Amino acid sequence: MSGILRIAFLVALALYFFILIYLLKKNRMTLKYSLLWMLVGLVMLFVAIFPEVFIWAARLIGVDVPSNALFAVLNFCMIVLLMFLTAVVSGQSNRLTRLTQSLALLEKRVRDLEALCGETANADESQSEENV
Amino acid sequence: MRTLIIIPAYNEQGNILNTINDIRENAPQVDYVVINDCSTDDTKQILQDAGMTVVNLPVNLGIGGGVQTGYRYALENDYDIAIQFDGDGQHMAEYLKDLIAPIEAGEANIAIGSRFIKKEGFQSSAMRRFGIGFLSGLIRMLGGVRVYDVTSGFRAADRKMIAYYADNYAQDYPEPEAILAASLEGATIKEVAVQMRERQSGESSIHSFKSLYYMIKVSVALITYRITHRRKKL
Repeated sequence: MSGILRIAFLVALALYFFILIYLLKKNRMTLKYSLLWMLVGLVMLFVAIFPEVFIWAARLIGVDVPSNALFAVLNFCMIVLLMFLTAVVSGQSNRLTRLTQSLALLEKRVRDLEALCGETANADESQSEENV
Repeated sequence: MRTLIIIPAYNEQGNILNTINDIRENAPQVDYVVINDCSTDDTKQILQDAGMTVVNLPVNLGIGGGVQTGYRYALENDYDIAIQFDGDGQHMAEYLKDLIAPIEAGEANIAIGSRFIKKEGFQSSAMRRFGIGFLSGLIRMLGGVRVYDVTSGFRAADRKMIAYYADNYAQDYPEPEAILAASLEGATIKEVAVQMRERQSGESSIHSFKSLYYMIKVSVALITYRITHRRKKL
């Protein structure tokens, strides 16, 4: 990997971490999910600092052009991340369903209670009128 | 036994009151609750004006989420039997007694109203029957239980299954999946001969058996469910 390419890579990574930390600071991303992105960032950082290790590993699995191996690894990471995101969305939609159901059931109970209170209030009124 | 009828309804302004009147006439001692799945027509207003028991979902959840709301209602209010009964006029209240008979007798945890036992009444198109037959075979293979009318939404559940369905009810293709889930859970499932009508008015949003695509989706969902869920040891 040439010196210039490596610098470009490091600059891009700096931007990556800047955005990540910015989102965390503004509470736009929860810590739980940021850990995953942190890990991806660290892997990329490792490749940028020690490309020799990466090139050696690429040769080992039979990839002649190291950049192809880089693309392959990145693609794989992204697919896994997307799968995690789908899992997160599914979990949220489950919770949303539960909440919606609870809300509707509670709303019915409130309606029933209101009707009941209305009746007793009316009964009280008519009783007090009788007393007068 | 305290029995609750769960009536899921989505845009059923033309059918819902007839459905409830049918129930009141044929099964006056039984409670019912309509689950209005955020209808965009006048269903909510009609039910409210008529003073019906109704739970209004603030967001559309689909048939699975709607029916599950009914099971949660049954659990909260301590019912012994819960019956699913479509709001579109397809199901006939005169068969309610037959449907709950095996549950009252303790012979089954789940009873499913089936059009294909006596083959009377509305039978649906040949294509649909073929599709239903295929799914029935698939469920038999995966769950070891023979149910002929797997897409029937006319079913009854006992206490055990009310509690189970209140907690886990299939959201995507609920009718076939709920059968497979129940059989893996160790429930005894029985089919009861009933007749059904064709929908009385409006468009069916549920049980839509539109295409080969639906068949493939349901099949994949069932197979995936079987692979990812163990049979509960009894």
